[in-house]
Amino acid sequence: MFRVHAVVISVLQNAVLRMVPCVRISKNLACCRRAVGGVRWKSSHGLAPLLTASPVRALIDEKISIKGSFLPPHCAVTLCARMHSEDGDLWESFAHFNTKADGTFHLTRDDSVGGSYLGCDPMGLFWGLQPAPGEREGLRLRKKSVETPYVVRISLMEGHVSPREDQSTELAALTTERWYMAPGVRRIEIRQNGLVGTLFLPPGRGPFPAMLDLWGIGGGLVEYRSALFASRGYASLSLAYFGHKDLPGPQNQMNVGDSYFKTAFQLLQDHHQVCANRIGIIGTSFGVYLTLQLATQTGVKPSCLICINGPVGNGFRHQEADSDGMDGRVLSSVKYWTCDDQGNVSFKIFSSPENMIPESKVKVEDVACPLMYIEGMDDLSFSSKENVDLIKETLDTVGKSHLFTHLSYPGAGHLIEPPYAPNTRMSLWRVKPNKLFVQWGGHHAQHAAAQADSWKKILDFMEKHLR
Amino acid sequence: MIISGVHSIRMQKNPCCVKLSVQPSRGLVDEKFSILVQNTPPGFQVTVHALHHSEDGHDWEAFAHYTANNTGTVNVSEDPSLGGTYSGVEQMGLLWSLRPVPGNKPWLRMRKMNVQTPMEVTISVYQGHQTEGFTDQAPLAGVVVERWYMAPGVRRVPITEEGLTATLFLPSGPGPFPALIDLWGGGGQLVESRASLLASHGIAALALDYLTPKITVETGKMVENEYFEKAYKVLEQHPQVLGSRIAMLGISFGAVMTFKFAVYSEVIKLSCAVSVSGSHVQPIDGSVKQIFDYLIKNAGNTRINEENQTIWRDLLLPIPTDPAFKVDVGRLKCPLMLVVGEDDQNFPAPESAKDIKEMMERAGNSHLLTVLSYPNAGHLIEPPYTPHVRATNFVTVGSRQKVVALWGGEMVAHSRAQEDAWRKLLVFLRENLYGTNLGATSLSHLQRKGISWDPMPNGLVRDGLHLFYRTEVNS
Repeated sequence: MFRVHAVVISVLQNAVLRMVPCVRISKNLACCRRAVGGVRWKSSHGLAPLLTASPVRALIDEKISIKGSFLPPHCAVTLCARMHSEDGDLWESFAHFNTKADGTFHLTRDDSVGGSYLGCDPMGLFWGLQPAPGEREGLRLRKKSVETPYVVRISLMEGHVSPREDQSTELAALTTERWYMAPGVRRIEIRQNGLVGTLFLPPGRGPFPAMLDLWGIGGGLVEYRSALFASRGYASLSLAYFGHKDLPGPQNQMNVGDSYFKTAFQLLQDHHQVCANRIGIIGTSFGVYLTLQLATQTGVKPSCLICINGPVGNGFRHQEADSDGMDGRVLSSVKYWTCDDQGNVSFKIFSSPENMIPESKVKVEDVACPLMYIEGMDDLSFSSKENVDLIKETLDTVGKSHLFTHLSYPGAGHLIEPPYAPNTRMSLWRVKPNKLFVQWGGHHAQHAAAQADSWKKILDFMEKHLR
Repeated sequence: MIISGVHSIRMQKNPCCVKLSVQPSRGLVDEKFSILVQNTPPGFQVTVHALHHSEDGHDWEAFAHYTANNTGTVNVSEDPSLGGTYSGVEQMGLLWSLRPVPGNKPWLRMRKMNVQTPMEVTISVYQGHQTEGFTDQAPLAGVVVERWYMAPGVRRVPITEEGLTATLFLPSGPGPFPALIDLWGGGGQLVESRASLLASHGIAALALDYLTPKITVETGKMVENEYFEKAYKVLEQHPQVLGSRIAMLGISFGAVMTFKFAVYSEVIKLSCAVSVSGSHVQPIDGSVKQIFDYLIKNAGNTRINEENQTIWRDLLLPIPTDPAFKVDVGRLKCPLMLVVGEDDQNFPAPESAKDIKEMMERAGNSHLLTVLSYPNAGHLIEPPYTPHVRATNFVTVGSRQKVVALWGGEMVAHSRAQEDAWRKLLVFLRENLYGTNLGATSLSHLQRKGISWDPMPNGLVRDGLHLFYRTEVNS
């Protein structure tokens, strides 16, 4: 299992340190010392090591099993994963293994003894990916185009080395594809009824249970979770509500109100391939507030709600009711974030229940369907704990605690997303007029475990309440 | 009756409850998948259905009847099919029991000529135990599954130098890689389906068209044996190939050629050789044309059965005693694997295997020989999980005659043979191309090393020819 001091990065700056792991294991490892001039391992020993993986094309939330064979016994090797993000940044990870007596290593069976993760974790190379040294700061890995896969190259290198080592020690390599969309899933752009979103439909005629997918204050249109839901048999609508060019009004404020979200829910209900009485809502971050608001204030009847690290209200002004009688909510030029001397942005104050305008707080007591709240206990950006405590307390008070499921993960940060993708502990918030960063929190190994566990529980929760 | 009625009412009220998942959704052609149906009422009857629209435009389907357990689940890997195109517990039955949808022309064969795109199969679940009319009704659930011949990162390189018509598939990675020449049979064309899969498993593979290459099409002349030697040299000299680790794999007529080069060629030096459904019977000095002439000379031995299907196995029988007409396998210096379908109606592969074994025992090199012999398997032993066809339309290069060739094999036994033979073939190739020793490698030696492969299930195992009986040579 994971150790708390999870990330042990072998510092291999000089030859002496590089030799140490080999010598410790066995004195008889002449084969493992790099020959002068980087003579290829294969030609000097007549060996061609083999690296295999299955499946080589997988969905993001599927495990991949990687094995090496035809290696010398009890030998130090390094597996290194590399990929380029859509923006062209290089992300990499690595893990150190020692082959068994039969000259093999299996990631499903063997421990990593150093690198981006420790211990036995077949997906550690994927969630352990980090921007390579020299890449821009504050990067976050998010797939924009879900119709193409991430292509991750896995290399096998001799010895316990870091990815910065000379490429010529690469013994074998393979390429894996990681997909957000299963074959047959259909991606449909939605620009109707004033909505800006993308609908993902599973293959087949349906009808399908559905999800409305709401993200946070970063804005834009985030598709990857919906694509995965559709790959698991749910119609899913990713909805943009802020910071998107196709939305009305200035992009630095939220110009849509309750009626917008109600329309989105109704689009799903009215869709001929959706089971109208089996629609859930999932919200992340500020999307939690929108989820709860939609479920309690607009008359729609979702079958279940999933909330991840978000608030029950907001701490800024709202305008008067809009023309259809529903309250509008505007993210005005009033700042909804605070910033410290080091340029770190936080939403803790804005998301803390004690700072919320009372009228803005959702009437949690009116929640009428099962609700799951997922909390990262190392969330450094939102006051998730205070919010989940408030929800629990409110539901208890009105005798609705049977509807409530609370998952809390020690060491997990704010960005609890689909599994086997890297956590971003800190990312760039804005560049001008000055560079600001958000501290999202989350210790890598614990956050990875939280993502894997919560995703499974999310899917089980959806199974239970939407099928 | 009443129970199923109640269930069907329940399904109508809640049409979206049934869940179907297939994992992996994108697999290699030789990779297993798991199919799970969930959330049905307990004891619910379903039909799991597979539909594939082939490259040449025909629809193929397979289906199986299951009854959900008391948790409302059907697990195709563990539960028995109660009927359909296969029965019993068959994890991959929906693929290997695919057959042309009624209404299609008869005697079709499914072949993927473009290996750069996947085979797409739609897997669906229908209510009840159905046998027809699938396209007219709405399934309870459906998914699309992709089956790939090429793993990501595998490179496809057309080879046209030296007058060759070939395609080289290079595995992912820095190389250099051990390699193999892949030879298909008497139908000709450049068949890439096996070479692309082998490259996906780490072996650089050269699919070589030797019956209908550009040079034959243009000149009308069949290639000489130098053509194969050029192919070997091109491979040997390729910067991404380990020149000292090259194998040859042939099926049918391709296996006939493999025997010749494995024993007699001064140029081609093989680390190991594999013959699938082949024979060592041929004029030993003969070129491709001369071997065809030899077959044509014996054409009188062709038999036509009651269904008007052509049986060609007797063209090479009886196994000659004249050494000029069978490759002297006693001189073989590299490991040899024979894959034999005992119901092969196209080649006398079982008889040839028996003769080869005897020749090698007499010569003292039988420790090099591994024979995989499968009762009720036919001639076309190909990579697994593609449909078995007992007889198909066939045009031989040379005669240009259109016949329905009988290949043989009973579907279940043949499909199991394909799966078992492919797994063992990969182990054999890997041990001889990747392994440390440069001599023979016994597969019993592999078992002791803990490299797993499953022996044939009971009932399909026979002593003697079926088992690996070589003893370990090098320690």
